[in-house]
Amino acid sequence: MAVRILIVEDDSHLVESLTFVLEREGFEVRAAIDGEAAMRHLRFDPPDTMILDVMLPLLNGFEVLKFVKSDPVLKSIPVIVLTAKGQAHDRQMAETIGVEAFMTKPFSNRDIVDAVRHLTARA
Amino acid sequence: MGRSLIGPRIRERRRALGLTQADVAAKACISASYLNLIEGNKRNIGGTLLQRIAAQLGLAVDDIDGAAERRLLDDLEELAGEALFAGLQLNRSSASELASRHAPWAHALIALHRSWLDRNRAVDALSDRLTQDPRLADAVHDLLTKASAIRSSSEILENVHDLEPAQRARFASIVGSNSRKLADVAQALAAYFDSTHADARSNTPVEELDDFLMERDNYFPELERVAAEFRVAAGIEGDCGDGELLAFLERRHSVQLRVQAAADLQPGLDPRDFAYDPVARTITIADSAPPASRRFALARTATALHDDGRSIAAELGRATALTSDMARRRAERALSSYLAAAVLMPYAAFRDAAIRSRYDIEYLARRFLASIEQVCHRLVTLRRPGESGIPFGLLRVDAAGFVTKRFALPHLSLPRHGNACPLWAAYGAFQALGAVVRQLAEFPSGDRFLFVAQTVEKARPTFAMPRRLLSIMLACNVLYADQTIYGDGLSTASSAGIVPVGTNCRTCVRRACAYREEDPIIDA
Repeated sequence: MAVRILIVEDDSHLVESLTFVLEREGFEVRAAIDGEAAMRHLRFDPPDTMILDVMLPLLNGFEVLKFVKSDPVLKSIPVIVLTAKGQAHDRQMAETIGVEAFMTKPFSNRDIVDAVRHLTARA
Repeated sequence: MGRSLIGPRIRERRRALGLTQADVAAKACISASYLNLIEGNKRNIGGTLLQRIAAQLGLAVDDIDGAAERRLLDDLEELAGEALFAGLQLNRSSASELASRHAPWAHALIALHRSWLDRNRAVDALSDRLTQDPRLADAVHDLLTKASAIRSSSEILENVHDLEPAQRARFASIVGSNSRKLADVAQALAAYFDSTHADARSNTPVEELDDFLMERDNYFPELERVAAEFRVAAGIEGDCGDGELLAFLERRHSVQLRVQAAADLQPGLDPRDFAYDPVARTITIADSAPPASRRFALARTATALHDDGRSIAAELGRATALTSDMARRRAERALSSYLAAAVLMPYAAFRDAAIRSRYDIEYLARRFLASIEQVCHRLVTLRRPGESGIPFGLLRVDAAGFVTKRFALPHLSLPRHGNACPLWAAYGAFQALGAVVRQLAEFPSGDRFLFVAQTVEKARPTFAMPRRLLSIMLACNVLYADQTIYGDGLSTASSAGIVPVGTNCRTCVRRACAYREEDPIIDA
């Protein structure tokens, strides 16, 4: 069964290209464009790995991350948090809540595929 | 240091005056050899002898006994403590040498140090603002996300060789459209920095308006005249209610009031705000607006339509203090409120009621169907020569302590920015919501004022949001206290019960004040 990735990102073009790249690598990809949509996915159809942007409409990335990491079942899902360079505070916050990897925008497709592979192999 | 400097100081000063040891010693009733020992720091000196010598040399004891230098030395020591100078081995003895030999240079260093600290504080505030500004954070995030989308799609175009023509076209279009968006975001960011720059100067319009109102003593006879004329034109004889204003608006200008459910207001619009649509000839106001606000909105629109904004434009035309557009817009709004208040609370009747009720703001609000804030504003405008009321100053602060409105008085300095003194009744009022709080306050200058404050509550956007409380404070010289009901039972003749206040911590000289949270800018 294919490994399922949830991309939580509000930029539809970035979602489109990431989906294309990850699907070509054999992953099954779903996307949520805001924090609440991400919560619905997590409740009803939890993924194997999540790529999570920090700034999201409705609920921000930290709130989604907190939900995941404080849920006994969901907390094992590895999360890659997308941050901007120089946002040390964002990183600190994500680390406090619990996060498996960071990816700094603008990243290359190769970086994100490698990160996802690394995390799913570990899981 | 003290003693070590006294001798050399005396010698230096004596020589500067061209006097011999014998001259000075004779006048100070001591021997020349004893003075020589003093100048050589080989004898203690103090008390009356020091006073006599100081007097002969035309100096204050403070200068000669080192009190002034001690302060200077303390300041130099603080400066020496800066991490910046850690490697320079600045110590107290060399500081003492500098202070005694080159006092003006030492003062220059201290002045530089203080201004450097001030700049640092300003830089900190600005950088706080940049890191916490949500618009900036959004723009940067947007910029990087667009860059990510472009990078990801262009890598696909570059590296995936078996793309279908439709896929190729799709990713090319993503690169194209995001490049354009990227340019937009970059431009918005550039514009933001421009406006940040403008904001940094935006204290000026507020200050300009302040200066303009002060210059005119906050009394505008021409607007009072227009208001009286409007009341005649609208057939208003006694109190002016919604009915009279609505009838006037409909009869003369075919304007109707449209009351809209607060829930239907466009987001962000203050429920107390109103909108006048000159095309549809309607005034739209929220059904949640308090009656006083609604009436004020009607009066503002009616007076503006009545003289087509001419009287306010004429006042603005005479206002040389208003240089920026922003300041003129603020002044226009302030004058339009002035005019409405003059219609709703006509000068003579309002002054009469104020004097008879001894400035009872709660009574005046009921009597004129006005809000406490409107009444306080109107009281401040009772400055007609020969027919004035008590000269009041006015201050409005929000729950964060921030001063949001001010009208100062001679000898009553109200802070222009930031916070006032935490002891003021304006803040005490937050501890007794809705109640009138009074206070006798004494400034370090010895000037005493009666402060009268009350909180007012404005509509909050939704239940989930905090209550919107503001505190309005009137201030008058204590000499007028007996003319107000708020002076009753207060002993203005003694200092018992008088609260020692300042303007704000930074400018206050009361070092030992238990409420002090910030050091004064200048050590007194």
